[in-house]
Amino acid sequence: MDASMKPYRKIILYVALTILALVWVVPIFTLIATAIKSKQDFYGGISLFAMPETIAWSNFTNAITQGRLLLYMKNDLIVSCLKVPIGIFVEALAAFAMTRLNIKHKTGVFIFFLIGMMLPMQTALVPINVAFSKLGLLNTYFGLFYVYVGFGISFGILVLRGFFLSIPKDIDEAAYIDGCNKWRLFWSIILPVAKPAVATLVITDFLSTWNEYLLASVIINDNAKKTVPVGIMTFVGEHGTDYGYLCAGVLLSVIPVLIVYLLFQRHFVEGLAGAVKG
Amino acid sequence: MKQERTDRSAYLFLLPATIIYLSVIVVPVFYSLYISMNKWNGIGEMTFVGLDNYANLFGNDPIFRKALANNLIWIVLTIFVTMTVALIFAVILNKRFRGRTFFRGFFYFPCVIAPIAVSIIWRWIYNPNVGFINQFFAAIGSEYSQSWISDPKVSLYAIFAAALWQAIGQPMILFLAGLQTVPVDVLEAATIDGASNARRFFSITCIMMKETFVIVIANLITAAMKVFDVVQGLTGGGPNNATQMLSTYMYSQTFQYSNVGTGTAIACVMVLMMMVVIIPYVLFTAKES
Repeated sequence: MDASMKPYRKIILYVALTILALVWVVPIFTLIATAIKSKQDFYGGISLFAMPETIAWSNFTNAITQGRLLLYMKNDLIVSCLKVPIGIFVEALAAFAMTRLNIKHKTGVFIFFLIGMMLPMQTALVPINVAFSKLGLLNTYFGLFYVYVGFGISFGILVLRGFFLSIPKDIDEAAYIDGCNKWRLFWSIILPVAKPAVATLVITDFLSTWNEYLLASVIINDNAKKTVPVGIMTFVGEHGTDYGYLCAGVLLSVIPVLIVYLLFQRHFVEGLAGAVKG
Repeated sequence: MKQERTDRSAYLFLLPATIIYLSVIVVPVFYSLYISMNKWNGIGEMTFVGLDNYANLFGNDPIFRKALANNLIWIVLTIFVTMTVALIFAVILNKRFRGRTFFRGFFYFPCVIAPIAVSIIWRWIYNPNVGFINQFFAAIGSEYSQSWISDPKVSLYAIFAAALWQAIGQPMILFLAGLQTVPVDVLEAATIDGASNARRFFSITCIMMKETFVIVIANLITAAMKVFDVVQGLTGGGPNNATQMLSTYMYSQTFQYSNVGTGTAIACVMVLMMMVVIIPYVLFTAKES
């Protein structure tokens, strides 16, 4: 609220925020407080709330050397960097046809794609496993990437279609009169205008690809091809679950997503407006 | 007159999405439906058994019924708890105050962490001896201590708390986006007419955000039906199946016990239950556009 907000209401707002923030910070605090302590610190009775005598940097270095975290991050980065731009491109093409080209049954086509948002990945697990083992796509980046694009299509179309609908139709006519064809209209005019929606999708797609566990655990068994979530799970039990080491790994693995979030968050809320307003 | 180009090349724009969507989503669903009518260990020959897998699940599988009940409890919890908390966060974070961007990012932050990793963090928080919660009670001098996720009575709710912490960002952001679509002048007019804050919120903001509520509810219900990572990572369905979900049960039946027919039948039950959400949602969306 603005400057006219009464002082006592401002105090209530900040008190409420502080309480919520304190509750919400607990797991993050635990994550950091654990990552800087060695196994000995914990079982030697140093409380979670106390600082250790020396910060256990070895947790971080072990996560990279023994845990092969950098390898998992590289694999995940390859899949995510393929999936996000290509996925958005495919979704944008379809959303463009549904909103700005003259095709039949626009609503029907939209609904057809929308249903996928609701279907659980579980239904695809076995069939894709069967098909991929026949096609030799198990343990490949391409296999994982292809499935991720498939499962991202519905949400991408929902967001982009909503945003494209909010762009005035006059732009199209002006562009056609100036001699643009459909492709030019899409690539040079509509897509750049839809930057907030694209930025939103970059965040949500990157997040869901980077962090996806279920499909990755089924499609990838080869240790050298594992993505971060599947790789992090090898930390569990491998060393009798050393939580310091595990938490250090989790902290490191969050860095790339955090960078993507910070780069694109300016348009985040704005970009979703089209999705929540039919 | 609008100048419409009616050539067939318009369909080329739909082609890539359609091919991928059909091959990853549509065809597998029907193939799953077929597998679910077979007895199959995943390697050998399939034997067609009709609806036997379903009859077994509903007829004499107490674990399946437990999982079904847990998913339903989870849906109720997300609708009432997650949605309320997300709405409160969104309303607070929609006000203009210093540090707003920081707090939006802060409450969204858990979404950035892989759910499977979040479950590991929470397993540690719930650790009965050295975990945060029990240590916190000890630090403030309380004798209270609880075994959390290994106690069948509270484990489901303990997992839900972890899931709430993690997943609040998504509905919160959707509500924030919805709040942007409520026209300021309408709210101002209502203030001039003497409407109270509560009145304005429930009679104008909530009504104007009708579509947002539909999307959030549809998202929450489907997410609740699909919930997997956080349960798998925290308890794997235990103790003694107390936190078994359809997704975790499907996973263990298919990939641990090689009852692929049964596992796929569970997946198909999930789809059928989703249909209950999908059909009204689709009808609503179709009517809007």
